[in-house]
Amino acid sequence: MEFLQDTLVLSRMQFALTAIFHMLWPILTTGMAIYLVIVEGMWLRTRNPDYYHHARFWAKLYVLNFGIGVASGVPMEFQFGTNWGPFSEAVGDFFGSILGFEASMAFMLEAGFLGIMLFGWERVPPIMHYLATIMVAFGANLSTFWILTANSWMQTPAGGEVVDGKFVVSDYFQAIFNPFMINSVAHTFLATLETSLFVIGGISAWYLLRGRHPQFFNRSLKIALAATIAVAPLQIYVGHLNGEQVYERQPTKLAAMEAQWETIPAGQTAPWSVLALPNVAAERNDWELSIPNGLGYILELKPTLSKPVLGLKEWQPEDRPAMVGLVYYAFRVMVGVGFFFAALMGVTVIQWLRGKLSPEEIGQQRLLLWSWMFAGPLGYLAVESGWVVRCVGRQPWVVYGQIRTADAVSNVPPGNVVGSLTLFILVYSLLFVAALYFGSRIIRKGPNLDRPVPGAIRDLGTNPAEHSPDSRPAEAK
Amino acid sequence: METLDLFLPQVWFAILALFLFLYVMLDGFDLGVGILSLTASTEERRGILMTSLSNVWDANETWLVLMGGALFGAFPLAYATILSALYIPILTMVFGFIFRAVAFEFREHANRKIFWNYAFGVGSFLASLGQGFALGGVLGGIEVDELGHFTGGTWDWLSPQSVLVALTLIQGYVLIGSTYLVLKTEGSLQATHRKTARIAAVTTLVGAVAITISTPIFVQYARQRLFDPPFIYIFAAIPLIGIFLIWRLWVSLYRERDVAPFVLTILIFLLTFVGLALVVFPFIIPTNITIYQAAASQSSLVFMLIFIGVLIPIMLFYNIYQYVVFRGKVTSSYYGE
Repeated sequence: MEFLQDTLVLSRMQFALTAIFHMLWPILTTGMAIYLVIVEGMWLRTRNPDYYHHARFWAKLYVLNFGIGVASGVPMEFQFGTNWGPFSEAVGDFFGSILGFEASMAFMLEAGFLGIMLFGWERVPPIMHYLATIMVAFGANLSTFWILTANSWMQTPAGGEVVDGKFVVSDYFQAIFNPFMINSVAHTFLATLETSLFVIGGISAWYLLRGRHPQFFNRSLKIALAATIAVAPLQIYVGHLNGEQVYERQPTKLAAMEAQWETIPAGQTAPWSVLALPNVAAERNDWELSIPNGLGYILELKPTLSKPVLGLKEWQPEDRPAMVGLVYYAFRVMVGVGFFFAALMGVTVIQWLRGKLSPEEIGQQRLLLWSWMFAGPLGYLAVESGWVVRCVGRQPWVVYGQIRTADAVSNVPPGNVVGSLTLFILVYSLLFVAALYFGSRIIRKGPNLDRPVPGAIRDLGTNPAEHSPDSRPAEAK
Repeated sequence: METLDLFLPQVWFAILALFLFLYVMLDGFDLGVGILSLTASTEERRGILMTSLSNVWDANETWLVLMGGALFGAFPLAYATILSALYIPILTMVFGFIFRAVAFEFREHANRKIFWNYAFGVGSFLASLGQGFALGGVLGGIEVDELGHFTGGTWDWLSPQSVLVALTLIQGYVLIGSTYLVLKTEGSLQATHRKTARIAAVTTLVGAVAITISTPIFVQYARQRLFDPPFIYIFAAIPLIGIFLIWRLWVSLYRERDVAPFVLTILIFLLTFVGLALVVFPFIIPTNITIYQAAASQSSLVFMLIFIGVLIPIMLFYNIYQYVVFRGKVTSSYYGE
């Protein structure tokens, strides 16, 4: 148990644990916020109460996730100071400013309008409520923007240089628009949206399999499906762009992602390894299954490479990521899920075009619905794997090529970190179990379709199918 | 020093003070109500207490997140040193926040609410305790080397003085929580919290008097500051104004006013805050590192000022709007979505 004496290892474990746990919740809230904007907009446009009930039902899951997201996100901010003091001091000029922007522009916006979105249905006019929902979604996704900007900068630091161990910024806009930024933001934005869509689709499939509220959940599944038609293929494309950038700018990470020990010179063909058993001590793969010419096609869409792919042996062991197997498999999990999502979307769309997804018939598509249920949690797996690739693959640097992780850790006694880490493990395990328990409770209970619609004339008729859209201008209602 | 080198850190010190004050005032009553929920006699009453916070606590807590982010950006050295020195108080606060936050969501859906009731109350208490020790620890001074890096021990923040500060802060939060409930509730629940407000007013006053007397005795740098003209006149005025405000608070509770007790409590908080800022300024890590030494680069301070400075009035506007939307008494113990 040597690591119990090592503040660096313990602090890394603590940061990894809190980051992996925290990320689970905003994945859903940032993506689902957009979904809520869509359904509430549909309600305002068509005045079909069904859409209103969608907004109310999914908001229940939204707020559960939001609460845990906040609870687990606050510790992350403080950890920069408590456990990564030298890092905070070295990069505060830029990184701290960005966290300040995230809080002031994004998180405050989301938190400031959340109350109205959740509890304000009867207190503000519908259009004001819709504005609040939009602000919540906008704030949440602006958070993604700033957090990913900060993280991309740690991957490809730009806009200044390290002087005497401190990063001095010469151009803030260059630092914000660092080489990785746009693709990273896009990749994460699509990831949260795609995960949320498959969660919504998966939960809808669960209801459809049981024949509960088939009309209602057929609708949510179709909204989710319609959105994934654009999102799933686009995500594969953006993912590819990210891969190209890693190839260009983070050769050690690329080598770890591919478990490539030897350099492949330019002009040669390169196989792509599908599965392998990386052996860090022996600096080789004990076993490997690969596709000839695959890597060339993946990186440059042609069999031969125009630039060399550097192998891990190009660097001293202390200058390359240590956990090669983890990075290698995390990458494959992420990519696998991305392609599975696209395939599931494709098959479902075909069934839709064949008219098999009507509320009456969809219950017979059992395999398809089971696949959607199975897909529900996979997005989380992909996002977490992506973060592992991104951040473990960046090691041993905290700011790639500039500041080492070992130089970034606070000088606190290991006992302190053992204590806090133990508490985090216990508390987060409790929260995780409780969240699954209460989340499944909300799902088992189902939507409350009898809830009166705000501002509606109560005797409009009880059957939503007979409801005729109100075409008067909003002021007249 | 150039004017900007003096001016920008001062501006950022003022902005951070504003964020911290808004936080202490707003999340202060959240935490106070949370602690008071431990005394709630029925589930219905506890439900009303939580309903009174359910739509605002999250925005209120965000002022602290904002303060943290801005401190990180504007005074990175202070952020790193203070948080490293206060490892245990900060973690205590963080775990308190975790339990407080999730209690809102989980209690609502739970059949057996008792565990989440305690999570809410004890979480609020722990968060307040952590903050009190953090404040006490900072005021007591942090041991650093010539570069401003923390060189002290794990338990440096713990002293009789910091215990006193922590207990007084908790009383202060209970006071503002009580007066908030006087504002937001009616009937017997309101009467109960008029009573808790009176008790908390007395205990807070006792704590404040004890801190006022003990600080110059135990904290050397504060002694120099306090008895140094022209500060001595200001510091002589603060306790007098404070006693006046507490007297008015007492009277307004006795006359069963709804709004005045809360407003007066805010003024008491503001007064305390001004006093503390005057003791500390221009240090950010008492008593070794000034705001000028800990400040980020000039360009960074300007850059942040452009972005965050413009947003401050906007943030205040929509936060106030939220309070306007949810004004009035809380009558239902149902705080579900």
